[in-house]
Amino acid sequence: MPHNSAYDPDVPARRPGSKPSEKPRYRVLVHKRYLAHYSELAERVGLKQAQQFWDHVSQDPGNPDPIASTCFLRGQAGRPKGPGWSRTIHYEVSSSARIDYQYCDTYTTEPDGDPHPVVAILTINYSSH
Amino acid sequence: MSDVIFQPTDLANKRTEFLEAARNGQARLRDKDGTSFVMLPESRLRLLETLAKWWQAYMRLEALLHRNDLPRAGELGELAWLRAFDREDFQEFVGELHDALVAANADEDTSVLDECIKAWRITARQLEDPLRRSVLHGRFVPEDYVEAREPDAAQ
Repeated sequence: MPHNSAYDPDVPARRPGSKPSEKPRYRVLVHKRYLAHYSELAERVGLKQAQQFWDHVSQDPGNPDPIASTCFLRGQAGRPKGPGWSRTIHYEVSSSARIDYQYCDTYTTEPDGDPHPVVAILTINYSSH
Repeated sequence: MSDVIFQPTDLANKRTEFLEAARNGQARLRDKDGTSFVMLPESRLRLLETLAKWWQAYMRLEALLHRNDLPRAGELGELAWLRAFDREDFQEFVGELHDALVAANADEDTSVLDECIKAWRITARQLEDPLRRSVLHGRFVPEDYVEAREPDAAQ
């Protein structure tokens, strides 16, 4: 049977957004207490902005985002959680969604484990300032 | 301070020179009754006002730090958002404010000061919520974290 439609059920849907998905460089973790918040992210801010955040933290969490506003939290809230961890970065996903995270380039789950880059989402705040 | 002092009649006769002097920093004018006026770019006036306001705040906060107890909201006035911080953070804020003021003074630009205040205000807001505060101030416990998936439309 001729295949006249552009639709191919064997080809996965392309990722919405401005660029194709890249393999994450950083493993992304979220604090259990904010897992429910995280699952609402796309619904709250829109898929495009949620994926922009994902692209940023999974690829280049240590540099300023070209679009979103970021800053380091100050005082004790901004201190690295341990050796190798960054300071706490405050990322404004939208005017009513803010995420605090730290990243570590050589995270290990065990003392002799394999070091790998990881991002830890500490908090998610949906209240507008 | 400029050596040239303009007269009220110069506003008509030498207005170009007067405005040029103002543009370059300040133009001085002495009125007939001896009152001295200075004209300067508005951006320069705003800079001086901002620096004066925050130097004053810095002096007040530093004085409050010498007490045993932390200042109450009423004593902090428009800086009441600082009540989110304990003594350690409060001291760090006052130290950073001092450094930012010195830098802004030297740069003749309040960008560093603005960034400092903004970041501390954001931090104070994040600490308002007890859960956020406990996570931000707590140590990293691997068991408290789970894998986050890439957001997709199905979520």
